[in-house]
Amino acid sequence: MSAPLRVADPLRLPLELELFEGPLDLLLTLVLREEIELAELPLRELVAVTLDEGNGWDPPTVGELVLLLCSLAEIKARRLVGEDDDGEFGPDPDAELVRERLAAQLIAFAPFQRAGVWLRSRDGIDGAVRYRRAPLDFPGRALARHQPDELAEFLRRLMIAPPTPSLRHMNRHRVNVGEIVAELRGRLKRSGQVSFEDVTIGGDRLAHGMTLIACLELARRGEARLAQPVPFGDITVHRAAAVR
Amino acid sequence: MTDHDLSRALEALLFMSPEPLGLVSLCELTESAPGPVQRALALLAERHGAASGLEVAEVAGGWALRTRPELAPVCDRLRARPPDERLSPAALETLAVIAYLEPVSRPDISRLRGVSADTTVASLLERGMIEEAGRSQEGGAMRYRTTPAFQERFGLKGPGDLPAITEFELTGDEAEAVRRRLRDAGHLADELA
Repeated sequence: MSAPLRVADPLRLPLELELFEGPLDLLLTLVLREEIELAELPLRELVAVTLDEGNGWDPPTVGELVLLLCSLAEIKARRLVGEDDDGEFGPDPDAELVRERLAAQLIAFAPFQRAGVWLRSRDGIDGAVRYRRAPLDFPGRALARHQPDELAEFLRRLMIAPPTPSLRHMNRHRVNVGEIVAELRGRLKRSGQVSFEDVTIGGDRLAHGMTLIACLELARRGEARLAQPVPFGDITVHRAAAVR
Repeated sequence: MTDHDLSRALEALLFMSPEPLGLVSLCELTESAPGPVQRALALLAERHGAASGLEVAEVAGGWALRTRPELAPVCDRLRARPPDERLSPAALETLAVIAYLEPVSRPDISRLRGVSADTTVASLLERGMIEEAGRSQEGGAMRYRTTPAFQERFGLKGPGDLPAITEFELTGDEAEAVRRRLRDAGHLADELA
């Protein structure tokens, strides 16, 4: 049985990080007051420690933890691109450089986007011209290379019946329960009883199984009575008194 | 051979040919000089005016006799398959890059577009719009160029029959508008600081 799920306050989760040691709520407070530099806080390490501590918690608590960590990641992302926690931008030379590169790329690619639009206006789909596409060499020359008697020879070969497939590799051994029942009846009529081992001697597993079914069938019909003194011993089939 | 007879011969040749015939081929086939052939082509084009179902066009490095655009619907009823599928905006943009910069490699296309062009290039290759153009002398990635099928589809006379790329460049105001959109999207730091 698995251990019961713990219900706890995720804000009180104790953390041991290189940069900070204490409960999670204190860490969040220090981050918001900017007493801890969020850019230097390794979020990956924080998530790993938090998840280790939270193992076995109930789903609502784990959900609250995930929400807290996501908020922290969002705040860090905003600060990294020069935006403050309220969504306002702050000066960030790196973000400006990224933006300038992106703008330069968009401006450089814009002519090709417009050329694509120009191509679309000339695309031959709707109301477009159509070209003759018949190859010059087909089909006349290809057929003319063969004489009628050659074609007749090809057809003659196609009309020859293929050899009968060999079935020698297949198991052709067949056992008929009706025949075994008839044989057992004959033996019982002659001697009054037969041994199962005598009947099946030299036979394979299939013959053994079918003979047993034949014996049971005779017993079901009331023509025979089966006796097996010891488990896994020989079965003696006796002719039933009524038949006798 | 008079110009009239020559234009009849050219009409027959263009009707028979499955692909555009260049001026040199037409001269060889009719055993005529370029001047008379060009005059006969002009005469032929005049005969196939708006009243005709066909038109003479200079396309993909040669001359072709093709159906007029307004007859496309009735022509398509003759076909077992519908006309070529439409090209997506991404495919058209990639085609434009290759048409203007050919021969150009796939990494260069991706770098210019800002996203991977692998799937688009593969699709254009499959459709016969582009073909391999070998590698540079220094080795490196395979380069691609447009095909005559591309020129036919877009009604271009040859590989270079495109408007100058400078016609499509952004003006100063348009480039500034791009920067402004980025700022509005939250990518700019300076003005709102």
